[in-house]
Amino acid sequence: MTCPRCLYDHAETVTAAPEGGAAVWEVRQCPRCWYAWRSTEAPARTSAEHFPAEHRLTPEAIDAAPELPAVPPLLPGVPEPAAAPGEDRGATA
Amino acid sequence: MPYDDLRGYLEALDEHGQLLRITEPAAPEPDLAAAATAAARMGPRAPALCFESVTGYAAGRVALNVHGSWANHALALDLPPTTGVREQVAEFSRRWDSFPLPAEHRPGPPFLAHTLLGEDIDLYRVLPLFRLNAHDGGFYVDKAAVVTRDPEDPDHFGKQNVGIYRLQCKGRRRLGIQPGSIHDIARHLRAAEERGQDLPVAVALGNDPVISLVAATPMAYEESEYELAGALRGTPAPLARAPLTGLDVPWGCEVLMEGVIESRVREIEGPFGEFTGHYSGGRRMPVIRIDRISHRTDPIFEHLYLGLPWTEIDYLMGPATCVPLLRQLRAEFPEVVAVNAMYTHGLVAIVSTRSRVGGFARAVGLRLTTTPHGLGYCKVVVVVDENVDPFDLPQVMWALSTKFNPSQDVIHLPGMPVLPLDPSSSPTGISGKIVLDATTPVPPDHRGRHTTAVTDAPRTQEWLTRLTSWAQGPRPSTGAAP
Ligand SMILES: [Zn+2]
Repeated sequence: MTCPRCLYDHAETVTAAPEGGAAVWEVRQCPRCWYAWRSTEAPARTSAEHFPAEHRLTPEAIDAAPELPAVPPLLPGVPEPAAAPGEDRGATA
Repeated sequence: MPYDDLRGYLEALDEHGQLLRITEPAAPEPDLAAAATAAARMGPRAPALCFESVTGYAAGRVALNVHGSWANHALALDLPPTTGVREQVAEFSRRWDSFPLPAEHRPGPPFLAHTLLGEDIDLYRVLPLFRLNAHDGGFYVDKAAVVTRDPEDPDHFGKQNVGIYRLQCKGRRRLGIQPGSIHDIARHLRAAEERGQDLPVAVALGNDPVISLVAATPMAYEESEYELAGALRGTPAPLARAPLTGLDVPWGCEVLMEGVIESRVREIEGPFGEFTGHYSGGRRMPVIRIDRISHRTDPIFEHLYLGLPWTEIDYLMGPATCVPLLRQLRAEFPEVVAVNAMYTHGLVAIVSTRSRVGGFARAVGLRLTTTPHGLGYCKVVVVVDENVDPFDLPQVMWALSTKFNPSQDVIHLPGMPVLPLDPSSSPTGISGKIVLDATTPVPPDHRGRHTTAVTDAPRTQEWLTRLTSWAQGPRPSTGAAP
């Protein structure tokens, strides 16, 4: 499934309606830009073709986005954490 | 009687005709956000909305616009629903005099009725989440009390912070969070991240109305929001120990999410339609991993629509912003009478004050811009005389019309700090600020011709009372002939 916002083609189904299941609605989400939408929303929210141009995102824009708040330096003597921040989460996949 | 949970407050709203229960099924989009937007336009007696049926949910309950009118704000403070805005702010400030009022821990919080752990958590099943504004990047939770402690001083109750931050749902048990740099939670997160540690967090959703008010109040770092809640209630705020994190959380909350803010992680977030009436997004922000959810049976999803002002958030933040500013100014300048900082969380503020000496009013105006909250807000400050009600905008416009001379009464401050969400700031977070002195000059500032102001006829106040009572009820037969 393609993300309407960043066009990543591995968007996932997160959940379905607790009552009635996928026939009623599904919620889908992109693991790269975190855009989420419900299958029953308007085309501007659910399809890449109709998604508004000014709200699209590219992998470059995601990587260039400033941190808020910035990750602070580690205190002296604190070991570097095992996993580097942001990796293994599909943020730049 | 103060309310110990959201349900008690909703019942009180219902008794006063300030709650609309909607039992017909509503589509998550666009019905819920549209109804909340519409409710905000119903004026000073706008009701809260309680949707009882949301498509796709067996028992989807959503409460909207709960604080979203002056009547509802008054009832939240246990005041008559007709109480005026100025009186509500004054009463809020008067009750603050009893701060700090210690909180009490109560056994048996109702949220322990149901528990979900780890991978069994699906936020979408617990809450009927939905999109608020069309271009939001996803579904948000924006009216929950987020609780954290200071990792450098974890036993300090006052440094434990309770605040409302926007939370973007990023999966079944994952939330993006915006901890603004000026907020206390950012200080907690920084201390944890410098040590390479996750920050334990509790997110309490669906609270008694005073919890939301104090979570929206700008307070000093060591001051406890719970102890302010006690002062506002006039009785201790009931708390419970969160089962996973041990954090102190509101006893009556509908849903309690516990977990950690993951150390040194930032992910793209937003956009989200903010209280400025504009979207903000495109920043990489921290993320909460939820490890445990506790919730009441058939929990109510209390949610807040915000967008082009005025919306519920302006009622929620309005008096809660005025009061600390009033108290901070008065601590140094007892001449200050009232502060109206209700416009976009105080980006525009109006102060009324007596003038001790020529130039005093502008000094008061400048001081407002250097209060802790004023650093990020108070971009336009209007100062008026003590007999001008800053909550009565026609009076303020009169003062600007006749007391204010743009040749001498404008103080412009370039390059001042402002919150980054202000879309006019340039670069982001930097703005000019301006103080407009619309007070009557006093010696030695001899300017203008202000000695000939018109005053009320004698007995005007008496007649106002009389006419008002006649207008509301039958007129006595001895009254004036038509
Ligand atoms: Zn995407």
